[in-house]
Amino acid sequence: MRRAWELVAVPLRAARRAGTVWGISLVILIGLTIAFYPSFRDSSGIEDIMADIPQPLIDAFGLADFNSPAGFLRGNLYAVLVPLLLAVAGVLLMNGQTATDEDSGRMEPYLAQPVTRVSIFLGRVAAVLFWLLVIGLLVLATQLVADELVDLEIATDRIVPTVILCVLLGVLHAAVAALVAGWTGRPGLVLGVGMALAVGGYVVMALFPLSDVLEPWRNVSPWAWALAGDPLVNETEAWRYLALIGPAALLIAAGTWLFRMRDVQAG
Amino acid sequence: MGRKRGRAQVACEPAAGWSTLETVNTATVEPLRIAGLVKDYGRVHAVRGIDLEVRAGEVFGFVGPNGAGKSTTIRCVLDLLHPTAGEVRVFGRDPQLEGASIREQVAYIPGELRLPERLTGRQFLTSIGRLRRRFDRSRLEELAARFKLDLDRNIRNLSSGNRRKVSVLSAFLSDADLLILDEPTSGLDPLMQHEFLQLVRERKAAGATVFLSSHILSEVQSVADRLAVLRAGRIVAQGTVNEVRGLARQRVEVWFETDAPAGLVQVPGLGEPQVDGRRFTAVLTGPARPLIDALAGMPIDSILIEEPDLEEAFLGLYEASDDDELPDDARGEARS
Repeated sequence: MRRAWELVAVPLRAARRAGTVWGISLVILIGLTIAFYPSFRDSSGIEDIMADIPQPLIDAFGLADFNSPAGFLRGNLYAVLVPLLLAVAGVLLMNGQTATDEDSGRMEPYLAQPVTRVSIFLGRVAAVLFWLLVIGLLVLATQLVADELVDLEIATDRIVPTVILCVLLGVLHAAVAALVAGWTGRPGLVLGVGMALAVGGYVVMALFPLSDVLEPWRNVSPWAWALAGDPLVNETEAWRYLALIGPAALLIAAGTWLFRMRDVQAG
Repeated sequence: MGRKRGRAQVACEPAAGWSTLETVNTATVEPLRIAGLVKDYGRVHAVRGIDLEVRAGEVFGFVGPNGAGKSTTIRCVLDLLHPTAGEVRVFGRDPQLEGASIREQVAYIPGELRLPERLTGRQFLTSIGRLRRRFDRSRLEELAARFKLDLDRNIRNLSSGNRRKVSVLSAFLSDADLLILDEPTSGLDPLMQHEFLQLVRERKAAGATVFLSSHILSEVQSVADRLAVLRAGRIVAQGTVNEVRGLARQRVEVWFETDAPAGLVQVPGLGEPQVDGRRFTAVLTGPARPLIDALAGMPIDSILIEEPDLEEAFLGLYEASDDDELPDDARGEARS
């Protein structure tokens, strides 16, 4: 038990700075955005501006009902920024604790100890998931407090699922990073694949509906699994959570197995 | 003068008996046996068939130039790399199948100094210690004092010598039965090198086995019982330090009472003979006995045979010949 805890404690400590910076950054982003809501709400002319934007673009960028509290939050935070930043955080944190540490040789002293490679890899995955959870809790807490302060009047049972789905999207991206790290141990590749999935996934969900040919393919994007149901407005179906958790678990399992089977990289 | 004479295996151990090594008794099973080990990185042949056996309680030197395959071999032993062919047994067990339990008996100092930068020495060493069955904090303090290491300084702020001390301490925290040390004193000052060698002797006296990869020949000479010399992924010499030292080129100078005889050039192992009046000089490789026998009964005024130098022996052994040169693209990739 002591060894298992140590295998999580070391990467937890190593990722502390990055996790804290990500958490504080998102808190500031959400706080500042919501701080503008009262002046936005009281301003006139927003509807006129929105009327000039084509409907497909409004749908693509989550700007529907922009002058409503849910529309304001979606358009400014939860359609793109928060899920994208959580996805990027997931990729970067996982890359740092797995492929980067392996490639730099910093993982080697631990791999030479009487513990399995699998336990070392899973310890690092657990540490990253913990930090994503902490960041998610900070986002949720900030959101709930800010809502109270500016009277956004969005039900907690809409906010909570939205944040959970964004965090799970980050977990899925972290899991993809874990897969590539376990497979190759090459930090550049982990970063490239992770970022491509984050940006590409958003593009597929947001822009494919603009084309009749591409529209059916929108649902291949994890972004669509998480956010296409508009969780700030509608009740979230249970399958959306499972669609993110299931593949993430499989990707992490596959990455761990691949890491066990190959040579360890060294500088 | 060809140097191929140095490539003869002095005492290459047979690779037989593998299937019988199934017990875990460290007192009776060889700590390390390697048979036919091959490791390729794509087209690059880093290790080309290594056979060696490290006996319980000995210090075994593992020497060779950069790119010879020393670290690759060690990384195969620790299950960091999977061999392309051949077998590795640590205390009779396969590292690929029982790596974690084997490493309970093994301590390792990696050749490359890469430590978690943001931790202090104490944090790093404590985390390493906690991953082992036996972790004694007082041992950590004792070793730190002995090596004059400030455990509470951040690793990123340590000099390379002090980082090396952290690495050394990580291997000596536990009472491992087999110490695998890859260039362990690189970066240590002479005083600390001496302290390190003392530590190695203490562990040996306590019954531990040491597998010491090193470039510092005086270090190997002073602590190793036996050694293997590696070049281009192959062992080119293996034996006791004295046996390998016997491969060295020794300068011979003989002064005769009369003109030097020409017949000495036929003596086995004697090369580069030169006769200058009463003075005869040559280079001797191998045992001096044939030369002494040939000189017996001759009118000798004085004779000088230089002390065999291990470094000379290594230089001869290191020198590559055409048939075992690494391909050009292998030089950068094959790890030493």
